[in-house]
Amino acid sequence: MIRFNNVSLIYPHSLHTVFEDLSFTIDEGEMVLVIGATGSGKSSLLRLINGLVPHHTGGILAGDISVDGISTSLTKPGGLAHLIGIVGQNPAHGFVTDTVEEELVFGMEALNFAPDVMRKRVEEILDLLSLAHLRARSISTLSGGEQQRVAIGSALVMHPKVLVLDEPTSALDPIAAEEVLSILHRLVHDLGLTVVISEHKLERVIGFADRIIAISADGKTEIDIPEEILKKSPIAPPIVHLARALNLDSVGTSVREVRRMTTHLRDFTPLLSQPGSATGQTVVAIEKLSHFYGEKMALREVSLEFKSGEISAVMGRNGAGKSTLFKSIVGFHTSIGGQIRVLGTDPTELHGRKRLSTIGYIPQEPSDLLIHPSVAKECAASDRDNGLADGSTFAFLIRLTPTVNPEAHPRDLSEGQRLSLVLALILCSAPDVLIMDEPTRGLDYQAKSLLVDTLVSYSRNLGKCVLIATHDVELVAEVADRVVFLADGDVVADGATLDVLLSSPAFAPQVAKVMSPAPWLTVKDALRGIAEATGKDPQE
Amino acid sequence: MKTTPGIFRLSAQSKVVLAFTSVIALAGFVWPFFYVGNLHWIFVAAIAASALLLVSEVGIGSIDAKSIALLGVMSAFITLLRPLGAGAAGLEPIWFALIIAARVFGPSWGFLLGITSMTTSALLTGGVGPWLAYQVFAAGWIGLLAGSLPQKFAGKLIRGATEKVLLVVTGIFASFAFGILMDLQFWPWVMGSNTQLSYVPGGAISENLSRFITFHFASSMAWDIPRAILTSVLIVMTATPFLRALRRTYFRAAFLTPIEFKNVVQIKN
Repeated sequence: MIRFNNVSLIYPHSLHTVFEDLSFTIDEGEMVLVIGATGSGKSSLLRLINGLVPHHTGGILAGDISVDGISTSLTKPGGLAHLIGIVGQNPAHGFVTDTVEEELVFGMEALNFAPDVMRKRVEEILDLLSLAHLRARSISTLSGGEQQRVAIGSALVMHPKVLVLDEPTSALDPIAAEEVLSILHRLVHDLGLTVVISEHKLERVIGFADRIIAISADGKTEIDIPEEILKKSPIAPPIVHLARALNLDSVGTSVREVRRMTTHLRDFTPLLSQPGSATGQTVVAIEKLSHFYGEKMALREVSLEFKSGEISAVMGRNGAGKSTLFKSIVGFHTSIGGQIRVLGTDPTELHGRKRLSTIGYIPQEPSDLLIHPSVAKECAASDRDNGLADGSTFAFLIRLTPTVNPEAHPRDLSEGQRLSLVLALILCSAPDVLIMDEPTRGLDYQAKSLLVDTLVSYSRNLGKCVLIATHDVELVAEVADRVVFLADGDVVADGATLDVLLSSPAFAPQVAKVMSPAPWLTVKDALRGIAEATGKDPQE
Repeated sequence: MKTTPGIFRLSAQSKVVLAFTSVIALAGFVWPFFYVGNLHWIFVAAIAASALLLVSEVGIGSIDAKSIALLGVMSAFITLLRPLGAGAAGLEPIWFALIIAARVFGPSWGFLLGITSMTTSALLTGGVGPWLAYQVFAAGWIGLLAGSLPQKFAGKLIRGATEKVLLVVTGIFASFAFGILMDLQFWPWVMGSNTQLSYVPGGAISENLSRFITFHFASSMAWDIPRAILTSVLIVMTATPFLRALRRTYFRAAFLTPIEFKNVVQIKN
């Protein structure tokens, strides 16, 4: 279906190739996953398939790419629109109309379909993607998962033979992501659709993929079945890291497989190690906080305390009140029932430098904090605002990402570098409490481990209080000392990470699922736990 | 060499249509000086038809996806700006955006932006009427003018303070020109027939011209001056970041970037 023959690509204004001599064939009805670090060329590869690269971007393309026998060098992307559907990372960026039905019809209008064909196709897609009950809804009122389904529907309605998805679930919570992926799985199996998908959160998609294309940082690519690629790929989900660390003969792609492979490691009683509770001073004290949006209750008499030297994760589904809680702590909301004190002060009364050195807040979209035209200017402004010596912020940034180009526009940076920049801007003033809303959206494993290291050292070494709101259980397992679980504006669970995550299978990280009932959340925990229980190093 | 499509430019044929329809539109503004009798509705129809002809002619030409996308986004932006001022006392916060965007994306695109933004924003402010076709042409011409300003002087790129001054001068000129054109379009109908300022059908050109100028100064200067001041202030305040953002967009859109298909890629180090 898709054939790459000795493909190499160079972008304009660039001196190095994105790919060199890339050759592979994807058959009809295959689901292929593209993995690689940010900036390795995943998006370029996906856009080569329908010719957006180089027809839209410019560049030099060597070799030949053909889709269903049509060469992309001779046909412009518009000529492939009926053959290839493409879905982006943020569905909201691609919508052109207001309602679900209109959005589904739009592409067919552009391709000049007959009205009766359009009617039939719309009904068909509404059923296929279970969108029938949403047909008249305004797209902006849909949840993230529903929006992504509409985006997939509006690509499928043209009956493409190939569907290309660029990180379709990275902006979604785990449940919405599951919804989208299971539909893709069904499309591949029922319709024989060829799907090419890129994704950072491998633990979500790995079970669905037939083959993986792995792009390494030096531009080398490999295509093989998941088990083979994952044996050596640095990008891998936690269960694969676990299998590797335990020196298992093969790696599994699902919890079930790895659990079967590790039966021999679980036939002993693990020692329950008690995590020490934080003993720092109270930084944030919340007493009977309630918040309403009009009639809707967002928080109901929430009382919490957060201490210094402690990393707390706030979890819960979308709309549970996580962001409202954080915004109240930051002091964005004034009309609140109850009381918030940050180091004894009402956060709405903190201003200027005092505010910068007390509360650091990184919103869901970190680029909202970036207003200057270059990295160097952002850093200089931060030095000025915080009254630091010239160059301190930049020095901080260089420690996080040594390769960042100071002249680059902040919005041209990779996700990981952009997050580093924002962290540097916020952390250089050493705020007593750092608050991050959904910090791992769109981050690859490398950027995520950078984030983990930064947060852990900020909390442990400097004794600061860190709060993160997230859906990412793997991140929580890595960094958090404590988890607060919100539902419908109430605190339903509050306790040590281990207790909260293990009490519900839905929120257990992969390693815990494999190792259950042993209380280990991460690969490191499991290795240490097995060593303690058996007296031998499992890596031997 | 093969490249990606450039920013939209009028084809030779479109230029002829633009010149032709502009002459009709201009005639629609100035006919009362030359003709006895009532051509008002004929010109309302003729100008609307010209605008349609122009848009369809331009649409037939090869306008590429990126120019259309930019046009859509900027039209939407200007459309949102328009109700903020609603035109009261000439406080229209749309001209600075039209002028700055046209400056970056060129005269042909700027002309189209004037037309599309004026049309779409009229729908939002309820300003659809016989005057709309006149407004559309006036806005198109302003876009064309702002896009035609020189990019270089004596071999040097015009950027920074000089560029700001150039844009402010354009903004002031456009504010007054728009006021004069809009007055021309309704002056014959607004004053009744017996005042010192009224239009005299069949009167000498000099007579009518002096009456018009008096009318314009008496009535609309109160609108033109705030319009010019607001436009200038907004240009001074926003030009630097606005131009930078749009020029970055222009760069990122990769207009006219070479495309090559080869057998083997060779890298020169």
